[in-house]
Amino acid sequence: MKKREERLVTCIVCPVACKAKVTVKNGKISKIDDVECARGEKYVTDELQKPMRDFFTVIKMKGAMVAVLPVRSTQPIPREKLLDCSQELIDVVVEAPVEMGQIIMENILGLDVDIISSREVRSKQQN
Amino acid sequence: MRLRTPDFGVNKLHKRKVDIAIVGGGAAGLSATLKAKEMGIEDLIILERNEELGGILPQCIHTGFGLHYFKENLTGPEYISRFVKRVKELKIPFKLATMVLSVSPKKEVIAVNSPDGLFEYRAKAVILAMGCREKTRGMLGIAGTRPAGVLTAGTAQRLMDIEGFLPGKEVVILGSGDIGLIMARRFAMEGAEVKAIVEILPYPSGLDRNIVQCLEDFNIPLLLQYTVTITHGINRVSAVTIAKVGEDMRVIKGTEKTITCDTLILSAGLIPENELSEGAGILLDPRIKGPIVDEVMETSVQGIFACGNVVHVHNLVDDVTNTGELAGKNAARFVLNELPSRKEKTVLKPGANVKYVVPQMICRGEPTTLHIRVEKPIRDAEIRIADLRISRRMVKPSETIAINLPQSLFEEVKGRTRLDVIVEEGSRK
Repeated sequence: MKKREERLVTCIVCPVACKAKVTVKNGKISKIDDVECARGEKYVTDELQKPMRDFFTVIKMKGAMVAVLPVRSTQPIPREKLLDCSQELIDVVVEAPVEMGQIIMENILGLDVDIISSREVRSKQQN
Repeated sequence: MRLRTPDFGVNKLHKRKVDIAIVGGGAAGLSATLKAKEMGIEDLIILERNEELGGILPQCIHTGFGLHYFKENLTGPEYISRFVKRVKELKIPFKLATMVLSVSPKKEVIAVNSPDGLFEYRAKAVILAMGCREKTRGMLGIAGTRPAGVLTAGTAQRLMDIEGFLPGKEVVILGSGDIGLIMARRFAMEGAEVKAIVEILPYPSGLDRNIVQCLEDFNIPLLLQYTVTITHGINRVSAVTIAKVGEDMRVIKGTEKTITCDTLILSAGLIPENELSEGAGILLDPRIKGPIVDEVMETSVQGIFACGNVVHVHNLVDDVTNTGELAGKNAARFVLNELPSRKEKTVLKPGANVKYVVPQMICRGEPTTLHIRVEKPIRDAEIRIADLRISRRMVKPSETIAINLPQSLFEEVKGRTRLDVIVEEGSRK
């Protein structure tokens, strides 16, 4: 007997925010209902099969007026890896000065995405 | 309207003249300054109370900024650094850790900081860009004990993402506005447990994208039509009591539940910060608590302009930047004697389904962007202003509608003292 599942996905492409009803048979999308446009269909399909998210957090800093440095991923990463990336950066301490966009960690968790600084920070001496 | 006339021993004040004084170095103030500079004004001063420029943006470490203005997906610090960098490149003067104490109707700006002490700028024009503040526990009237661990969402954000503290480990959030949603995600990402977001309305007030990416992604329960009634705990929060509310937003007896937690985050509304505006004798819109402005962002006091969240709370920083540029451009024109004077005023009145509009009036027939906030979600909406008809597939209270008003509209409404702005449900096409 085929396994059939119905999933609800909120589309965020436009303010209408269609609540798509997706029928999944044997792990494959067989039908998408309640979506009003092609952009939405694509979003819902991608979101269900491989949800991606921007990753951002703060990491510890030394020698600056701010205690932490905001960082971000250069590209979105798989949603299920968000907390893993956060964990991976726990022990990283960055020393000021830091440039905007400076690479803090290359190819984090082998995801082919770098973690870069989201701001410039001058060292305490420079201030 | 309270008029404050402080006596700071005026004769002893260090006084200087300036063309334009900008109060607040956040998104609105910086874009206003850059535009005024572009228009040829050299004699500018930005007065900022924080230790760095940027306003609230440096602590908004998430993405979603600049999608419209730069057509890029930036974090808050990335967005604002472009403006801060430009101000520094152009060597525009600014003072940090400087508190403006008063702005008079004659555009005398009194401020104080450690190195300079007390001083006064006599400006030809003033641009108010003080932003907004959060509703506090006192304003929300939450009963119970007064333990540590009750914070507004913005305070929690500052503690976490500037000062490097984890404000709590078991969190309940009151209010489903965007700041609360964003902080729910931040807490979850840092290993805290967010037990619930409690929202008094039957629908969430933040953006859909935040409901999905801050709550659904982390399986955080959203309790609609609930509110927090009591805090428990002596030195630190130990629990909160929540209760269901009816359509009238009043507590339904017998529905009380207790949630153990060590932190209560308040995200229940933002209020434009206008003590300085009141002191200058500026008329405020009683509905939205910000200065009434015309299409060039001038307030009721000639030569004092306002922009950004001090006028009304915007949803996108891109919109704030645009209002800043409008105010900066027109403050510059005012100083250069190039701003046409006010003619007959046409008041823009919020009509059916419209909560408020900014600007609230047109006095000169100058091009401007109208911001409309609707009272409820409307599918296939039609926005009607005089003969102008604009359709939108969906409009919601959580996202203001920005409409560029065409020149033809001004020709059309000449002589009319009042114009209704209406949003109705149109027909499905």
